[in-house]
Amino acid sequence: MNRHNAYINGQKGSFSRESGDLSISPHRFRPQSQPALRRRRQLLVRLGLAAGCSLLLALLFFPSFRTTLMTTASLGLLAPAVAGPELPLETVREYDLSNSDGTARGWEREERVLMCAPLRDAETHLPMFFGHLHNFTYPHRLIDLAFLVSDSKDNTLNLLNQLLTELQNDTDPKQPYGEISVIEKDFGQKVNQDVESRHGFAAQASRRKLMAQARNWLLSAALRPTHSWVYWRDVDVETAPFTILEDLMRHNKDVIVPNVWRPLPDWLGGEQPYDLNSWQESETALALADTLDEDAVIVEGYAEYATWRPHLAYLRDPYGDPDMEMEIDGVGGVSILAKASVFRAGVHFPAFSFEKHAETEGFGKMAKRMGFSVVGLHHYTVWHLYEPSVDDIRHMEEMEQERKNREDEERERAERMKKIKDEFNDPGSEWEKDKNSIEGISQQEDQIRKEHDAAMAGKEAKDQEPTDKPAKEKSDETANKETKEAKEGTDTKKTDGKDGKDTKEAAVPKDTGEVKEDKASKDAEGLKRLDEDTTSKDVQDTKVVKENTASKDTKGVEAIKEESEDKGIKSTKEAKEDTASEDSKATKEIFKDKNIKGSKEVKDDTDSKDTKAEDKNTKDPKVVKEKEA
Amino acid sequence: MFAMTLPRSLRRTSPITLVLAGLLAIGFLVFIVSPSSNSDTVSTAKRKITNAASHPLSPPTAPFVKQDTSVEARNRPPPVVHYHLNNVTTTADPITNEETVLILTPLARFYQGYWNNLLALSYPHHLIALGFIIPKTREGNAATLALQAAIASTQTGPEAKRFASIIIMRQDFDPPLQSQDEAERHKKENQKTRRAAMSRARNSLLFTTIGPSTSWVLWLDADIVETPPTLIQDMASHDKPVIVPNCLQRFTNGEGKADTRPYDYNSWQDSQQAADMAANMAPDDIILEGYNDMATYRTLMAMTADKSDGRNTKAIIPLDGVGGTALLVKAEVHRDGAMFPPFAFYHLMETEGFAKMARRLGWGCWGLPNYFVYHYNE
Repeated sequence: MNRHNAYINGQKGSFSRESGDLSISPHRFRPQSQPALRRRRQLLVRLGLAAGCSLLLALLFFPSFRTTLMTTASLGLLAPAVAGPELPLETVREYDLSNSDGTARGWEREERVLMCAPLRDAETHLPMFFGHLHNFTYPHRLIDLAFLVSDSKDNTLNLLNQLLTELQNDTDPKQPYGEISVIEKDFGQKVNQDVESRHGFAAQASRRKLMAQARNWLLSAALRPTHSWVYWRDVDVETAPFTILEDLMRHNKDVIVPNVWRPLPDWLGGEQPYDLNSWQESETALALADTLDEDAVIVEGYAEYATWRPHLAYLRDPYGDPDMEMEIDGVGGVSILAKASVFRAGVHFPAFSFEKHAETEGFGKMAKRMGFSVVGLHHYTVWHLYEPSVDDIRHMEEMEQERKNREDEERERAERMKKIKDEFNDPGSEWEKDKNSIEGISQQEDQIRKEHDAAMAGKEAKDQEPTDKPAKEKSDETANKETKEAKEGTDTKKTDGKDGKDTKEAAVPKDTGEVKEDKASKDAEGLKRLDEDTTSKDVQDTKVVKENTASKDTKGVEAIKEESEDKGIKSTKEAKEDTASEDSKATKEIFKDKNIKGSKEVKDDTDSKDTKAEDKNTKDPKVVKEKEA
Repeated sequence: MFAMTLPRSLRRTSPITLVLAGLLAIGFLVFIVSPSSNSDTVSTAKRKITNAASHPLSPPTAPFVKQDTSVEARNRPPPVVHYHLNNVTTTADPITNEETVLILTPLARFYQGYWNNLLALSYPHHLIALGFIIPKTREGNAATLALQAAIASTQTGPEAKRFASIIIMRQDFDPPLQSQDEAERHKKENQKTRRAAMSRARNSLLFTTIGPSTSWVLWLDADIVETPPTLIQDMASHDKPVIVPNCLQRFTNGEGKADTRPYDYNSWQDSQQAADMAANMAPDDIILEGYNDMATYRTLMAMTADKSDGRNTKAIIPLDGVGGTALLVKAEVHRDGAMFPPFAFYHLMETEGFAKMARRLGWGCWGLPNYFVYHYNE
């Protein structure tokens, strides 16, 4: 071995020319290879930089590029990221239908209820319906709502959407409902929805078949295996108990309906049975059904088909037991609570003539046919909205016209009365003259009487003094109110009561209420005179009368009577003056019969309710004569 | 010599060339990347998400996004969902129009052949929802377990084979279905109660699953083990409200050769004799097909089958009664209310009564005498 040519590691010290048959030999090209390698590396770095820059730019300018890049990148590396959005998908659902059979106390067992409401041009009723929704006491989260909006020309859909969104976003956690489905489907119905065409006989069969179709579509789209109950509710129910779901559920029947009435204006009787589709089958109807053609539909409430069926609606007693049940065969659709198992078994709203019935009536028939219980609660009432029919509107117009006529008449009569009154006001001024003249006479008589009084004045004066003042006040009062007999009574009592001990004894037992305390006066006339005198505010007169009464001097009585009559006339006139301004009614009365009234006034003036006295005055021709004079 | 030229050429290239090359490379990258945004994986994922409901309270024919389990999320009220039933179409070309099909099966026994046949259907599986109703009996429990196992493997398997949604329902039949043995099942006296129970099961299944988006309903019995893979498209292409293929059974004949025999006698055209018979019956009596003591002289579709190879599978006849072994129904027929009467409806029950009810609602029923599906042979 040539040691000089050997390296430590045993390699040959030098390459032999023979073995190096490669043209590129390392020792020969080594100095040149380094810059080439560097250049290649620099190229790669430059390429990488350029790619990075452009990628950055692309990412900056095209945001969509980022997601594209991410999916491409994750395609190989992050396989789960692709499946990521799929992972939380649940595709298998399992249900046990025996868990959703429906029991009497569904709210405790958390049974779900599907509430179905078919809608067509129902914009006006929606706010009312949502008012009801807010008030249901059944746990809202257990109620799923399903609406079918079909062939609506108004704003039903938008309004419904808005109200539903509000309902679901309610801050009260008890308000939002469960699943909410709004199903839009047009059946291309030509049938008009206004009251007249809706209830016209000819339109009934086809209309009800179309309604049935709508109901079936709604139910098939919305019924889930989790539902235990299905509640059908019309949106135009005006009033219903908030607890209606629980109330109906408690009966634990397969199909149950309440009674449906509607309020009416007073002129139509205040209320009326509305839903005539809940009935019991009758022999007549069955016989009728046999005579009809296969596609005919018997509809209730029309003279064309006299079925003589007992209707749920007509059996209502407002004070009856609301839990009373009645087996029925046809049901009305305003408010139906049915177990979901009924619908699951296949009962639906026949959109064809099923045993000569369609829609809800056919539903009742079919449920019966399949052996389900169908009952109605005839004393449990919900109230349907009253929509006036064309006839009603016509009638209401007539009534309005009548009312106007009556008002006109009344106005005329009032005017006539006013005219009459005006005519009778003239005598008022005549009376004024009369009054003046009579006053002159009475003043003279007063003069005479004063003289007489002075002569008669005696010990009686002392007794009377304390009562004088009250008597005076009373007389003022009575002067104002004398024409009203009711007031007279009380006034008399007061006056008498305060008037004094002496009058108490002169009782007039006949006059029960008013003159009870007039016992003192033995001599009714005397008493009357006494009162007359009080009215005249002449203390002395009173004294005289008292004296007279005490002395029982009939002569004196007579004399005073005359005076009092004069006085009475005078006071009547005064009264008339008062009442002219205050009490027109009284005035009218006065006008009606001057004479009799006048005598009454006299009586009033005397402030005595003594009937005897009254009789006397009325009968007394003198009074009349004097007045006339 | 070549190795020498490469570095030399590189050495000669200017930086501008390099930049241009870089840009070209980027452009190439972009070109590669951008078409992938339309790739199938992405679109199916997107579609599945748009079809899925956001809340468990949703129509069962669509999958739903699993909710996060936080209390706040659970308490959030479900959204208001609009369903446009005007846009749910049923046309002769269901795949192009992306029409959803609901396959409904009353299940008493689970046959792997049935499931395999289902998986073999060429209709896009993401448009298919499956619904099963299984009695709550021992047999039913076994069937449920087998079905659940099959579902689990399918729904986690290749995406193209996964179904959009699967609904399993358990129900106590009233009266419970007795033995599913063929001999016992077909006894005449048992027929009425059996068919009433079957009707109720079918109706329960139908009305709780049909939902707002289903276009077609395919009734497929659990013992149908062989159909053409294009079953749905083929039947839908006739664009009939109710259409039924001919149901046969494969068996080994006396000579030891494979043969087929008619199985489903419920698809028929009515006869005068049957009408007269019905007229003299009590309201709750039913006419049954395939029993010697009740000769109806109806034209049975099963008997008119042309089994030759060159047969016209598109031949179509109107029917008065249909069988339910494989029955394609436009969803609107069911939505209008056509169901399987569990009572004597014009002296007919179940699928035959359904055909009658569909006709009362104005929908015609049709049969494909030369288009075969095969029943399991017990």
